[in-house]
Amino acid sequence: MSRVKNKNRLSPLVAATLLAMPLGTNAAEDYGSLKAEIEDLRNAVKESSEWKNTDSVVHLAGYGAFGYADQETEDGRFDQVLFAPIFHYQYRELMMLESELEIATGTDGETEVNLEYLTLDLFLNDYMTLVGGKFLSPLGQFRQNLHPSWINKLPSTPAGYGHDGAAPLADVGIQLRGGIPLGKMRTNYALYIANGPELAAEGGEIHAIESEGFTRDEDGDKVAGGRLGFLPVPKLEIGLSAATGNVAVTESTPPLPASGDPVRDYDVLGADLAFKAGNLDFRGEYIRQEVAAAAASVAAEAAEWTAWYAQAAYQFTPNKLELVARYSDFDSPHADEDQEQWAVGVNYLFASNVIAKIAYEWNDGLEGEATDQNQALFQLAYGF
Amino acid sequence: MKHPNKLTALFFIIFVAAGTVPSPAGWAQQNTPPAGDYIRGVKAWGDNCSRCHNMRDPKEFRDDQWKSIVTHMRVRAGLTGQDARDILVFLQTSN
Repeated sequence: MSRVKNKNRLSPLVAATLLAMPLGTNAAEDYGSLKAEIEDLRNAVKESSEWKNTDSVVHLAGYGAFGYADQETEDGRFDQVLFAPIFHYQYRELMMLESELEIATGTDGETEVNLEYLTLDLFLNDYMTLVGGKFLSPLGQFRQNLHPSWINKLPSTPAGYGHDGAAPLADVGIQLRGGIPLGKMRTNYALYIANGPELAAEGGEIHAIESEGFTRDEDGDKVAGGRLGFLPVPKLEIGLSAATGNVAVTESTPPLPASGDPVRDYDVLGADLAFKAGNLDFRGEYIRQEVAAAAASVAAEAAEWTAWYAQAAYQFTPNKLELVARYSDFDSPHADEDQEQWAVGVNYLFASNVIAKIAYEWNDGLEGEATDQNQALFQLAYGF
Repeated sequence: MKHPNKLTALFFIIFVAAGTVPSPAGWAQQNTPPAGDYIRGVKAWGDNCSRCHNMRDPKEFRDDQWKSIVTHMRVRAGLTGQDARDILVFLQTSN
């Protein structure tokens, strides 16, 4: 309405100006030119503000990193080149599609591309969101919230929290998640049902539990579980995680019989804690995955993977330098994978999202294995 | 064999129940969620964001960018819808 009013006010003014002009000027041309300029200006003002309030929003976030590792018995090498774009497509406060790719250069120079997650988040109400697709495991905190290199305070993951470790990485299914205030205490939750992990066997033993997220479900049974988080006071979060279901061996050396492998029970139990007091940040997690014995299986024995870590970090005012110390321990069915690790690091924060990290790890594993190699690490990480 | 049917049924019961959880009063009538609050947003921002990562300066992003970033964090951090709207108002006002 205001624009229309302005237009009506301007027209007589323009007309009066034109009348006052000498008859020798091209009054009609000037009037037309001025009118066009006003129209252009009106459109420019409209366009400059309309993008701020659209129903659909597109945003590109993510992080990138490069790193260097120098192990005790090997030459140092630039061992990490990582680009992890995160796409956000949002429609009102109703739906968000979010997806993270992990694009990295492998040791052989090949580019590796992985879909870390892709979910459609349907906001059912203020306290509940339906999340469907491939999602980071909601069990514990590290995988779903702390793994991005600009967030992780050390260049490496805690022992047992990487691939083939004790902590599930991702799954394909659906989740209900959200937050609920209970009086003065805040809580959050994530409940899920998904296809679940698979087992790999070798030489009659379970070799690994694979939890990268599969769109197949070879055992035919779903895994269900979740995490409950409690914040009795701000900046203190205590989480409990659990999941149960069935899994089966899907890869084996020697090969599986044509009839496949029998299903077996699968259970996960975890707990996590995060606490921040001033510039001190403390966190810890415990996770255990176990599969039951199956007498008719190519790998009949039960297996268990357990990992935990505790980490403390302190940022020195004005938040440029940060000291980090972490202890982690991983136990698996195979001694060559077991690892006990101390890691200390110094970080320099060029900005809150641009971090240079130097760290040293003391690793204790089976003698002669990579898990037993101490190493110095460097990483520059940028979150955007 | 004991897991799939019971667990699937349980999950869908929860899902159906979720649909019956009322939205905040007045939302349905207005067809729009309640507005965020700057003061509550300051507190929610301070209480939640630094629990996992370093604080990001509100000036790092435009208003439209903050909208999808905060929605992403609502899912990731288990914030309520009102928490997210409060934090969004604070960030959009402070950038």
